[in-house]
Amino acid sequence: MNNLDRNLRFGWWSLLIFLSLGGGLEILHGFKIGWYVDVGNDMRRLMFTLAHAHGTALALVNIAAGLTARNIKGFPPRPSVSLSLIWAGILFPVGFFLGGIVTYGGDPGLGIWLVPIAALLLFYCVARIAFDLSKLN
Amino acid sequence: MRRLSRSIWHGLFIIAAISSAAVLTLISLRNFHREMLPPENRPIQSGTGNYVTSNACRACHPGNYASWHTSFHRTMTQVATAATLFGAAEEREFSFDGRQYKMEQQGDKFFVRMRSLGGDYGPGKQVVLVTGSHTLQIPWLETGEGRTLEQFPFAYIIAEKMWAPVNETFLTPPDLKEYYSIGAWNGACMDCHVTQGQSRFVAGNKWDSRVAELGIACEACHSEGNQHIALNRNPVRRFKIHLTTKSDASITNPARLTGPVSGLDCGQCHSVWAFNNMTDKIDFNRQGTNFRPGHNDLGQRFVVQPNAPDHSEQKDSIRKTEPDFFTNRFWGDGMIRVTGREFNGLQASPCFRGGNFSCISCHEMHPKQTQQVSLTKWARTGQLRPEMDSDQACLQCHKAIGPNIAAHTHHEAASSGSRCYNCHMPHNTFGLLHAMRGHQVSWPTVQESVAYGRPNACNLCHLNQTLAWTAEKLHAWYNQPVPQLSQDDQTIAAAVQWIVKGDAGQRALIAWGMAWEPAQKIAGRDWFYPYLIYSMTDPYAAVRFDAWKSLQTLPGFSDFAFTYTSDDHSLRETAARAFEKWLREVRPPNAIFQPQSALDSDGHFQQDVFQRLRSERDNKRILLAE
Repeated sequence: MNNLDRNLRFGWWSLLIFLSLGGGLEILHGFKIGWYVDVGNDMRRLMFTLAHAHGTALALVNIAAGLTARNIKGFPPRPSVSLSLIWAGILFPVGFFLGGIVTYGGDPGLGIWLVPIAALLLFYCVARIAFDLSKLN
Repeated sequence: MRRLSRSIWHGLFIIAAISSAAVLTLISLRNFHREMLPPENRPIQSGTGNYVTSNACRACHPGNYASWHTSFHRTMTQVATAATLFGAAEEREFSFDGRQYKMEQQGDKFFVRMRSLGGDYGPGKQVVLVTGSHTLQIPWLETGEGRTLEQFPFAYIIAEKMWAPVNETFLTPPDLKEYYSIGAWNGACMDCHVTQGQSRFVAGNKWDSRVAELGIACEACHSEGNQHIALNRNPVRRFKIHLTTKSDASITNPARLTGPVSGLDCGQCHSVWAFNNMTDKIDFNRQGTNFRPGHNDLGQRFVVQPNAPDHSEQKDSIRKTEPDFFTNRFWGDGMIRVTGREFNGLQASPCFRGGNFSCISCHEMHPKQTQQVSLTKWARTGQLRPEMDSDQACLQCHKAIGPNIAAHTHHEAASSGSRCYNCHMPHNTFGLLHAMRGHQVSWPTVQESVAYGRPNACNLCHLNQTLAWTAEKLHAWYNQPVPQLSQDDQTIAAAVQWIVKGDAGQRALIAWGMAWEPAQKIAGRDWFYPYLIYSMTDPYAAVRFDAWKSLQTLPGFSDFAFTYTSDDHSLRETAARAFEKWLREVRPPNAIFQPQSALDSDGHFQQDVFQRLRSERDNKRILLAE
């Protein structure tokens, strides 16, 4: 078992959570909840959609990273990469979600400041994995 | 020759695909630029001053954008297309004043060809703009003289889904055939039907008009947005505002202004205004208004209040050059009598003196609820704030009256006589073929009717009562002095006098008022028929229209057809048919006609009274300049 195994576990749990959130958003649409679907709440809808999309996508990236580590011999899983990927998978959707709870017209709430941090973490670990895989060749 | 490898073929294919896409993009860009060239046959939207248009506001203010987008302010002036031009499907051929017109559609454009009776149709003139989308819509035609427009002689009455000559969609003298002359849109209409219009007179009757935005858009009320947008590109600034003051000095928010200044924001258009002098008029024409929301006065212009002490020199000059100016807009005591000029009424209201009262005390331009259904309802019901269609509008300040409203009104608390609006904002203004509540908050008096001819609130509901009856009630309840009244005022219902011998404006108010539900309930409606049918032959088209529409609200006449723009002979014929129908089919056998209705016991006019009143009709020319 390597460091990236926890990403596999995280990825599958995360996927479950964000697919469920997708169902929640469908319900908000289905019942035409004004807090979510009104024209004036465009920003909230965008933020929640991005939270759902990023949470799901990052769950898949975590799973892909875990599978990559298992299947490629000699690929050195770094703890920092594993942790960064998990934190990116948390901070991205949480940042968007919090940004959508309180909005200011066309601006999201303050929670949105988590997103650039998540973006840096994601950039770091994807680049690290790409470089490390390249070294194997 | 060596065969190319598969990967090289792949590479070549990708390069070819990208190159093709790039070429197509460049070609479409060229077409895009060609399509974006501004048309030369109508006023255009151009970068004016620091105006940025509503498109720039949308990203940060989606809710406010949505409410504005639903409002009739946005569609006040639009480019004429199949989507914006009403009525093109209903009718395509028109006749008016010895000329025939044919409207033709070519793609998304409409053209009008004209001929004198018996002649050949001339070349088509494009319908380029339309004004109005709520009550009435007027199409405007190119003239071949730059961006100068001329009026299509017909307007579309939206609720009726019918076309009518423009001069017969306003309360105008019957002999007035042309309401807007060539260039009138450029020289006058665009002052208030676009955002920051610049008429830009060229020479002769040629104009090169430009606007910041067609229709009344965000910057008309919030001022230019350029600096506001530039400053707020900085997210730190935005969040600082969100989390602290919630107020941004780089843009005007009418809700944060004092009552008078906020009211002037609406009053820049919703008032009777005039230019200070010729220099200011020329400057306005060239540069557009120098008034900006938040200013204390209209800059090159001033709000005309007949009895206010300001601008006396200018008002004297108006009296000399346009003697009918005041009578066509105001009642004799200076109260506004036309719709669309509500700020005059607001400014003259006692509430205004408190310094907090303004248009947005009762109206709102951006409701909190932004579902399309509620926005549409809000736009169609006077853009009122929640509960402001009720007594709450007044009780928000006059709290003491609320708990025992009947003691104040002397009417049952639940009745229409206890509704604040009905007594203090009665339907005494007229425009666009209907009466509207006056916006000068006032008390009903008999004196206003005796001295200035203005139908008072009591008799607008109690249509069947005399002025003497009203005077007695107002004296008993509010200790108002009883004015000197004529014999007719003591014996004939006030409404009967107004609809028969009043001026055209009074007649129109009563013809409309006979469809008003509270009046129908209180005054009984059996006796309305003869007067409404008689009014369908009134010389003023607006009176005929309202008489017909009111008649349709009465039993037996809901689908009664009537072309209110017909010639005199047809009007009389239809009225005679309507009267016969009422006598034979509709009139209840047990109908009782009160003596003050001036009708015999069988519902016929008391001819001596009726003929005398008719001979006393006030025939002065009235043009209610809405």
